[in-house]
Amino acid sequence: MQLRRQPLPAPQPGDPYPAAPLLALLLLLALQGAAAAAPAGSGEPEDSGWRQDAELPRGLLSQAARAALHFFNFRASSPSALRVLAEVQEGRAWINQKKEYKVDLVFTTELYNPEEGKEHLGKCSARVFFRNEKPRPAINITCTRLIEKKTRQEEDYQLYKYMKQLKNLLDVVSIPDSHGHIDPSLRPIWDLAFLGSSYVMWEKTTQFLHYYMAQLSSVKQWKTNEDAIDFDYTVLLHEFSTQEMIPCHIHLVWYPGKPLKVKYHCQELQTPEEASGTEEASAVAPTELSNF
Amino acid sequence: MQGLLILSVLLGAVLGKEDFVGHQVLRISAADEAQVQMVKELEDLEHLQLDFWRGPAQPGSPIDVRVPFPSIQAVKVFLEAHGLRYTIMIEDVQSLLDDEQEQMLASRSWARSTNTFNYATYHTLEEIYDFMDLLAAEHPQLVSKLQIGSSYEGRPIYVLKFSTGGNNRPAIWIDTGIHSREWVTQASGVWFAKKITQDYGQDPAFTAILDNMDIFLEIVTNPDGFAFTHSKNRMWRKTRSLTSGSTCIGVDPNRNWDAGFGKAGASSNPCSETYHGKFANSEVEVKSIVDFVKDHRNIKAFISIHSYSQLLLYPFGYKRESPADKDELDQVAKSAVEALTSLYGTKFKYGSIITTIYPASGGTIDWTYNQGIKYSFTFELRDTGRYGFLLPASQIIPTAQETWLALLTIMEHTLNHPY
Repeated sequence: MQLRRQPLPAPQPGDPYPAAPLLALLLLLALQGAAAAAPAGSGEPEDSGWRQDAELPRGLLSQAARAALHFFNFRASSPSALRVLAEVQEGRAWINQKKEYKVDLVFTTELYNPEEGKEHLGKCSARVFFRNEKPRPAINITCTRLIEKKTRQEEDYQLYKYMKQLKNLLDVVSIPDSHGHIDPSLRPIWDLAFLGSSYVMWEKTTQFLHYYMAQLSSVKQWKTNEDAIDFDYTVLLHEFSTQEMIPCHIHLVWYPGKPLKVKYHCQELQTPEEASGTEEASAVAPTELSNF
Repeated sequence: MQGLLILSVLLGAVLGKEDFVGHQVLRISAADEAQVQMVKELEDLEHLQLDFWRGPAQPGSPIDVRVPFPSIQAVKVFLEAHGLRYTIMIEDVQSLLDDEQEQMLASRSWARSTNTFNYATYHTLEEIYDFMDLLAAEHPQLVSKLQIGSSYEGRPIYVLKFSTGGNNRPAIWIDTGIHSREWVTQASGVWFAKKITQDYGQDPAFTAILDNMDIFLEIVTNPDGFAFTHSKNRMWRKTRSLTSGSTCIGVDPNRNWDAGFGKAGASSNPCSETYHGKFANSEVEVKSIVDFVKDHRNIKAFISIHSYSQLLLYPFGYKRESPADKDELDQVAKSAVEALTSLYGTKFKYGSIITTIYPASGGTIDWTYNQGIKYSFTFELRDTGRYGFLLPASQIIPTAQETWLALLTIMEHTLNHPY
C-alpha cells in the first residue's frame, strides 16, 4: 500500500501527541461537524514510553483500520449503514516497551452493500490502541461524508419492519450457500448477522489477527414478538493470517436507533476437526454489555 | 407422449446403434374409410421400413408414422397421388434426438461439448474432469491431457498441455485450486482452458505466444480437497492426507515446498490450516509438480493462483531478502495489474509475499524461483472479504476475464525476454 507521509519533526521521548500536520487534519475534521464523537486524540492520559515506530510492521495500518471500522459499525448499530475499508491514506504508529501499539490513521470507506451507481465514499480518522492486557483494541474514530442520519434511520426502520414479519428462519443454513448465493429475501438477516459479528471482530482484531465473516452457518433463534429483534445464530469467521475458520455463537438484540446488545462465544483456534462443538475452550469469556 | 416415444426411439438407437438422420415423422389425415384402407396398404409394404407411432384406425384419427430417409419420396408420392393429406411433424428425427440429448445432459450439468458447458457456475470434480476430456477431444492438435500423479486418496492429477509443436519448448505453468476452498480459481482455470483454444489463431498476440511456447494448466491441483469441499466441508483448504500421531487431517500444500521449509510462516501443528507437513514434498500433490518441473527443465514462468485478497505477489514469503530480479518482477507485476484493472476497475495490490500479505514459508513460488524460474508469481483473486471464498458464481467470468489480461501480460513478457 502507498503511504503519503509528511516530513516530521524528530519525535521526543514520551511525546504522546501526534505530529503537527496530522493533528491539524484531525482538528479540521472535527470542525467540519463530524458525527457526534470525540475527536481522536483528545482526553488521552499521558503515556510514557511511546516511541515512534519508523518501520511500520507490515499491514499494521490496515489492521488498525479494520479494528476501527468494526467498532464503528458496532457503535452505529445500523444494519443499513455498514461500512468496509476502501483505502488507508496515511498513518503513523508508536510502540512502547510492552510492544503495544498506538496507531493514528486516515482512511476511506465504502458501503458494505454497494448500490448500483451509488458510490458513497466516506472518510475516517481514528486512533487505535493495540494493548496486551485489555482484550480489545481501544478505538477513537470520527467519520465524515456518511449517509444522512435521517435517511439511515428510515432505512433501519424499514429493515426492522421487514424483519418483524419474517418467519421460519430456523431452517436457514449456510448463507451464502456454497455457490456464494444469498437469497435476496434473506439479505437483511446477513446484514444483521454481520452487525453482530462486528462486535466480535472488533474484540478479536489485534496487530496480527484480522477477520472476515465467511458464512452465517445457522439460525438458532429468531424472536420478534417483543419490540426488539432477538437473533441467536452461529457464524464462521475467517482469520486471515492463520487462515483458520472460527465458529462463533452470537446472540444479539436490536432495535432501530438503540445501541446493539451482543453476547458471544467463539471456539478456540485449531481444535481437532472431529471435535467441533465439543471442545470449547473459553479463551474469550462471554462478553456482555452493561445493559444486557 | 411425444417425449416418451422419442425416448423409446432413443433407447432403440442406443441399443441397436441405429441413427435417424433425415428420417421424418408424418401425420396423415385419413378422411374416410377408403383412405384408412390405403394407409393400411402402405403399412404392409415392408421394404419401406415404416414405423407407425399411431397406426391407422378410423377416419378422423391422426396417423403418425416415422419414415426412413430412403422411403420418404416414395411415401409422399403415394400419399399425394391418393389425395391423402399429411403434415411433417418432425423434419429430421436425428437432430431432434440430438437436441433432447443435449438438454437432458445439460440439466444434469453434463455438457456434450465445451460450447454448452456452463462457465458461469461452479462445478464438481467429475464435471471438470469431463470438461478436460471434451476440450482435448475437440482440439486434438492443440490440447492433450497428462496425468502427473495420483492424489493421496487415489484420484488422478491431470495437467492440460497446450502446444503447437516443437520439442520441449520453453513453457508457462499455471495452476489453480491448490487450496480447495478457493473455488473461483478452479472455475477460472476451466475458463482459461477454453479461452486458450478460442484465442489461438484468432488473437495475434496470443497466437505468437503459443507458436513459440507451451502452456501447462493444472486446474484441480488438490483433487481430494476439492472433492471434500463438495461432499462435506465447503471451507476445506488443505490436502486430505492422514498424519500419524494426530487425529487432524491434511497438510497446507502451499507450505509444503522445499523453500524455507518449516521456518516462520507455517505451523508445525497438524490441526492448523497452515500445517507444513512432516517434511518438504511430503504431499504427493506437491511432489508431482516438483517432479514434473524438474523433468521438464524448460519452464520459464510459473503462476500459482489463489483467492481471495486481490493481490499479485512475487517471491519471497520465507525471508525478507528481496529476490535478485525484484525490480523486473515488480515492473511486470505493475503492468499485469494495470491490464487487469483496465477491464472492470478491480483494484489489485502487488509486491513480494512477505511485505504484501504475510510471512509464508515452504511456498510454491519461492521454490520455483529458487529453481531458476524467474517469472514466478502468485495471484490472489476476488474479492477482498465481502464474500471471500464464497464468491457468487456470477463473478466467475468477470474474474477470469480480468485475470486473463494479467496472465497475458506475464506471458508476453516471458516470450519477449528469453533467458
